[in-house]
Amino acid sequence: MKKYIAIALVAMATVTGCDRGFDELNTNKIDPTTLDPVFVLNRSVVDITFTSTANTQAMLCYNFPIVQQILTPFGSSLTGGNYNQLHRENATRLWNFYYPNIVKQIVDVVERTRDVPEQHNLHQFGRIWKAYVFMALTDTYGDIPYFEAGKGYSEGAMAPKYDAQEAIYADILNELDEASNALDASLAPLTSDILYGGNVAQWKRFGFSLMLRAAMRLTKVDPATAETYVQKAVAGGLMESNEDNAKNRHSSLYINWMGEQLSGREKANFYLAEPFVNHLQETDDPRLPVYAIRYVGAQNGTQQTASRATSDPDMQVGMPFGYNDVSIVETYAEKGVVSLWDYSQANQTTVVTQFAPEFFVTYAQTQLLLAEAIVRGWASGDAAETYERGVRANMEQMAEYGAGGIIEEAAIQAYLDAHPLDMANAIEQINTQYWVVSFLDGNELFANFRRSGYPELDPNPYPGSEISGDFIRRLVYPDSEYVVNNENVSEAIARQGADDLNTRVWWDKE
Amino acid sequence: MLLVLVTAVHAEGMAQKVTLSMQEENIEKLFAEITKQTDIQFLYSNEVVRRAKPVTIQVRNADVNDVLREVTTRQNMTYRVIEGTVTVNVMVQPVKQRTEPLRPVLQEEIQVTGAVTGPDGAPLQGATINLKGTQRGTTTNEQGQFSITVPPQGTLVISYVGHLSQEVAVNGRTSLSVTLAEDAQALGEVVVTALGIERTAKSLGYSTVQVDGEQIAENRTNTTMGALQGKVSGVNITTLGTGPQGSTRIRIRGNSSFTGTNTPLIVINGVPIDNSRFGGQGLNNSDGGDGFSSINADDIESMTVLKGAAAAALYGSRAKDGVIMITTKLKGEGRGIGVDYNVNYTMDTPLDFTDFQYEYGQGERGVRPTEPFPTSGIWSFGEKIEPGMTQVLFDGVEVPYEPVRDRIRKFYNVGQNLTNSLALSNGGENGGFNLSLSNTDNKSIVPNSDFNRKTVNLGFTQTIFKKLTVQGNVNYSNEYNRNPAQVGGQEFSTPSSVLTLANTMPLDLLKEYRKDEMGNEVVYARFLPRTNPYFSVYEKFENIKRDRFIGNILLKYDFTDWLYVQGRIAQDFYVRNQDFNYPTGYAAIGPAPAGFVNGSYFMNNRRFRERNYDFLLGADREFGEFDVNLTLGGNQMYRRFDQENQSVQDFIERGLYTIMNGRVKSSNYSVSERKVNSLYGAAEVSFRDYLFVNVTARNDWFSTLAPGSRSILYPSVTGSFVFTDALGGMPEWLNFGKLRLAYAEVGDDNVDPYSNALYYQVNNNLFPNPQGSMIPVGGINTNTIPNGLLRPLRVSEMEAGVELRLFNNVLGLDVAYYHKVSRDQIVSAQISNTTGYTSQLINVGRSMNRGIETAITASPVRTGSFNWDINANLSYNTSKVLQLGLTEEDDMITVGGIRQVVGMPMGQIYEYLYLRDEQGRQVFDKNSGFPLRTAEMVNVGTNQPSYFGGITNMFNYKGITLSALVDFKLGKDYILVGGSNRNYWRHGLHKGTLPGRDVGYVIGDGVNPDGSINETRAEVQPYYESITSQNIHEPFIYNAGFWKLRQVSMGYDFTKHLPSTFWVKGIRLSLVANNVAVLKKWTENMDPEELYDFAGNSTGSGWSSLPLTRSVGFNLNVKF
Repeated sequence: MKKYIAIALVAMATVTGCDRGFDELNTNKIDPTTLDPVFVLNRSVVDITFTSTANTQAMLCYNFPIVQQILTPFGSSLTGGNYNQLHRENATRLWNFYYPNIVKQIVDVVERTRDVPEQHNLHQFGRIWKAYVFMALTDTYGDIPYFEAGKGYSEGAMAPKYDAQEAIYADILNELDEASNALDASLAPLTSDILYGGNVAQWKRFGFSLMLRAAMRLTKVDPATAETYVQKAVAGGLMESNEDNAKNRHSSLYINWMGEQLSGREKANFYLAEPFVNHLQETDDPRLPVYAIRYVGAQNGTQQTASRATSDPDMQVGMPFGYNDVSIVETYAEKGVVSLWDYSQANQTTVVTQFAPEFFVTYAQTQLLLAEAIVRGWASGDAAETYERGVRANMEQMAEYGAGGIIEEAAIQAYLDAHPLDMANAIEQINTQYWVVSFLDGNELFANFRRSGYPELDPNPYPGSEISGDFIRRLVYPDSEYVVNNENVSEAIARQGADDLNTRVWWDKE
Repeated sequence: MLLVLVTAVHAEGMAQKVTLSMQEENIEKLFAEITKQTDIQFLYSNEVVRRAKPVTIQVRNADVNDVLREVTTRQNMTYRVIEGTVTVNVMVQPVKQRTEPLRPVLQEEIQVTGAVTGPDGAPLQGATINLKGTQRGTTTNEQGQFSITVPPQGTLVISYVGHLSQEVAVNGRTSLSVTLAEDAQALGEVVVTALGIERTAKSLGYSTVQVDGEQIAENRTNTTMGALQGKVSGVNITTLGTGPQGSTRIRIRGNSSFTGTNTPLIVINGVPIDNSRFGGQGLNNSDGGDGFSSINADDIESMTVLKGAAAAALYGSRAKDGVIMITTKLKGEGRGIGVDYNVNYTMDTPLDFTDFQYEYGQGERGVRPTEPFPTSGIWSFGEKIEPGMTQVLFDGVEVPYEPVRDRIRKFYNVGQNLTNSLALSNGGENGGFNLSLSNTDNKSIVPNSDFNRKTVNLGFTQTIFKKLTVQGNVNYSNEYNRNPAQVGGQEFSTPSSVLTLANTMPLDLLKEYRKDEMGNEVVYARFLPRTNPYFSVYEKFENIKRDRFIGNILLKYDFTDWLYVQGRIAQDFYVRNQDFNYPTGYAAIGPAPAGFVNGSYFMNNRRFRERNYDFLLGADREFGEFDVNLTLGGNQMYRRFDQENQSVQDFIERGLYTIMNGRVKSSNYSVSERKVNSLYGAAEVSFRDYLFVNVTARNDWFSTLAPGSRSILYPSVTGSFVFTDALGGMPEWLNFGKLRLAYAEVGDDNVDPYSNALYYQVNNNLFPNPQGSMIPVGGINTNTIPNGLLRPLRVSEMEAGVELRLFNNVLGLDVAYYHKVSRDQIVSAQISNTTGYTSQLINVGRSMNRGIETAITASPVRTGSFNWDINANLSYNTSKVLQLGLTEEDDMITVGGIRQVVGMPMGQIYEYLYLRDEQGRQVFDKNSGFPLRTAEMVNVGTNQPSYFGGITNMFNYKGITLSALVDFKLGKDYILVGGSNRNYWRHGLHKGTLPGRDVGYVIGDGVNPDGSINETRAEVQPYYESITSQNIHEPFIYNAGFWKLRQVSMGYDFTKHLPSTFWVKGIRLSLVANNVAVLKKWTENMDPEELYDFAGNSTGSGWSSLPLTRSVGFNLNVKF
């Protein structure tokens, strides 16, 4: 018997005692536990326009129709600003996409580079980009988790508090101020950032230009702070040319998803809106052929073929608001189209190709905001010249959309000569121009329209509108927040107002 | 442990006379005395001696038979005569028949011939036939046949080891056919328990159910496990609507944890195998099957379900949800090579439960298509259908505007399944083998989709040098799943497009116009993700090929007759290669850059290996009235999973789906490894073979958990008390009674490897910086917050049960009560996505499951030629979430869209409902006229049934067997949210969308938020669509319960008609049908079991699964 027990004990010892490598087994041999933060910064930049249909659908269904540049007559899953109705999924796409995909990565970059001397500049890059990301979120939803957001792993913040937009903007301005000033060109260059290739001077100009944008956001609610930060931004140094534009340069490996959508799945569904096309036609804007294409005589989506395509400005017909895919029949005779598929669309050979760049902050936008600041007396300079520089820059920027985007110098000059800044209506003219300049930049279009009140647009007359005012003022929180972060979202609603499309965000004072 | 309770007597001694005079003597003394007087030898066990009452007998020159009959009857024992030798089998059961006084035979006797078969129709050789009240008897021959001369009004008592005895009145008949039912509680019945250890049924202190392999093979379902549906108490099986060879959802005694896998461990021949499910990837949503896909039903000898923790405690961490143990055939019976051929054929007919509206046809906003290339192909909001109307579809073809009613029958085919199996076997005293070959061909109901499986299974056992036994099993399977059905989601899923097609869309036209001359999909609906189903099935392909070896080899050495040691190596290894495309030209993707065509191609290659080394040391010794059985063992489990993915987007040559031909390429590779080391032991002590106590302990060490928390000990203790054996004075109608009691703890690491740390991932492709240098892009690769401090979850379960056999075994009852608490669950709980993550891994909370399982067997009619048996089971399970999170405020978590709420049963479903005012009136928006929704989601029920079970009625008339199974799942709050119905609603197919169509607007019946009566006219189509954009589910919440006639089978064994010298030894033919009829359901337009969802616990939302099929066919078994 003893012999057998001995055998058993030996066998047991073999199983457990001598198991080398047991501790090491649970280490992932494929994925790293750390990664140079600059690559993570890159991802947070790339993913903001790449990766999914979610982001584009948010813009197509809400931002673009609200500012009346692009719309669809169709309802169902495409419902949104076209009918002035609440479609929860479309209204929450930006939130649901940004927080887990962008916020997580950029917060990781900022936190991991904090107080690391070798990563000094990278840390500032991260802070500037983080400010850009959160501006889009808070402009869309108002009060949002900001200070505690994206820290589920690093700090165990599982139910982030919602911060008042006022506090968020205060911090964003402060962050941009600190980060832009802290950038140090004397440090070893960091070339592996994809936005500016580590060019510290350009990052600085991006940071201050973004600060100008953030400052101007406060014109209605806090002009004093707006002025302070406009001055800081101008003193720090704004973008100087189109070379400084912050943008995603798409390639065959990282395509433009808006282009993918509007040339594929949603090709036959979205059209340029009448107010936008009419404005460009009335002003003889040379950007119209870059922005627009029409498949003349198309009876359906299948007939939207290259042989019917034209970008001739005189041939463009914008789709009117107020109709759905059936009632729109009433408009055909008056507008001179044969079907809804015969209306103009965003140009699939220039602005919405798979390789078209997408712009975050441009020199043109910055000059226009600066022009407004000058008009308001918050900055020195010649408003008219500044305005002109902005418009010219934007027209020159069209060349980045390829051969079809090149605008001849003569055409630019003719436009500028015909439309000098009229100081009597400067604010309206600048912001209407900003609307044209920012085509396809959904977050900025929606925010600046609410802030400035321009362009002067007629409310969408769709008969089934659900909103109480003239325009949608914000989008709603995701259903999931009510489930897993109910206390905090309720607190935000109590402070900010009902969670619907009518409530105005803090800076959008009536 | 096993006592062979047989006494043997020489036949020649039967006529002998004995003279006995005994007063309160031991029965052994009686046997000894008879032996002394007659030379008759007795073989008996301790059991007999222990159980025997003192014998008092006074006879002079009496027939020894009379004496034995008298004595054994009084002693509640039986004896049996076999062939030339009289075999007396002493049963520990009361024998009902009372002794009739011997009287002279007056009537003229007749010759009765007959056959005795088992419940499966196989002949029983050696069954005894006794004329009731006499010693006259005979036994059956090899063909189960007998012949006996008896009075015409006599009664025959037919008995056979392991079966219930039966009395048959002769009634003047000269030919009888008798089928004996198995006696599950027969003394000798052996149950395979955890680790493959065999135990007698009556010693078990917990509930197990053993299912005979032939039951599974005869009326088989596409998935092997589907055959158990409704047959085993406590086991809730759902076959997913994902096509042939899809996976099965099995739940034993409810969900033991909020998340993760709650599926039982699958053990083949004592060794666990991988039962991973292979679900979708991207837009490719096929069900690639599970671990059962590799098993041929014909190879299964038996299946044992270990339901509770106590039964499974020796499997430790992997057994928290019970164990299903499959024993495959090891060797044949009888000398010479036995050949067994089986063919099984079934046809699958898709069932149509839809009841759509056919008053208004294709179109949107009340307009039918009248121009070429309409895009309303999935909307039925068109015009009122009138005779003579036409519609224009595709490139201008004009067809009648008329209903297309049976879309399901038109699109889906009749599926066909054919399995041929051939088995060679041989068996002798020292060993034997069983070799089987099988081929399964399965044509899916989905066009252009099929499955083939070839298996080779070899089982063998051989004793070498008397003490050393080598035994092994190897199963090889080669599976090829070609174009498995796409389900769930949209894009290529045929159910989502077929079932939402406009109700006037002619399917033949849809097929003809699936692509243009370029090969591109012709757009028929502006909602492009609803790919033309014919384009999906003919242009999209998917190949899944798997080669799998499951095998083990075992060496056992018997040191003495009471001590053995065994070692075993087992491996489950497979290579699974999968490739699929997104076809070039499908409408929902954009064009490729110039010079390329669009589309994608994916390759996914996996290697899986699970290796188990284990040893067992066993001892069994008697100490007086005690029997002690000790087992010690250890196991090391190592599992490695390698995966290689390659994909390309856009192609150079159209139609060539290869990696080389692609434009954008990406690839990745992953490895996952885990190890569990275990030591375990079991001790069983039995007293007088009626009281059994069994104690086990197992310790597991997990590689996936942190060193401080990775070791865990699982104890169990069980007891069994056969009180009918132990106590005297039992009423006569109580034949057998046993009490069971058990407590056990098991657990699980229930977490993927590497869940303890945050990992980053570098993107496949580089991104150029402004200078044109290619720069890496990467980031955190998870949306789940890892946790380095996870502890194993623990399940502790108490179980009590009683087994009774009553009224001469006519009625059997097995009732079990269990109470199961899971704590420290490892949960991937949904968190606010503002954290940057969508879920976190935490050890959280306690939940409780408790329930009652009842199994009833009854034999209401039992005559010689007609028997009726009933097998019924009913299970009640309820659960409760006891605690969540760390503080009391944490009273709810959401996992996979399902909520767990403290104080409520697990698996609560919350949905937005219509907003109503205090008076219960529905509230509508004043501007739009659309229904408004509740401010918050409202609890609407649970996805877990409270009651489920089945009733099988088996009839046997002269060897023709007929059986029918009715099964059910029921519950007061058991609900299903009909996602598919919401789409039928939004697309205008649902009958509920008819109101308002005649006038062109809907005025919702209710009020506006200000309390005024709603008078806003809403346009019809947007009104019904608004329910989707508002995420309201109110009209589609159904009671998910059902009653179904699940199986019907009819069989006949022709064996007894075969001459004994014929080269064919046996033939059995069965006609089988599955999913015969839905007797009761509450859902609209769908079957309540229509689920495609692969995930753990989130049943309760039906959308886009294949139609349920009714299969009808036959099974033919021939033995040579």
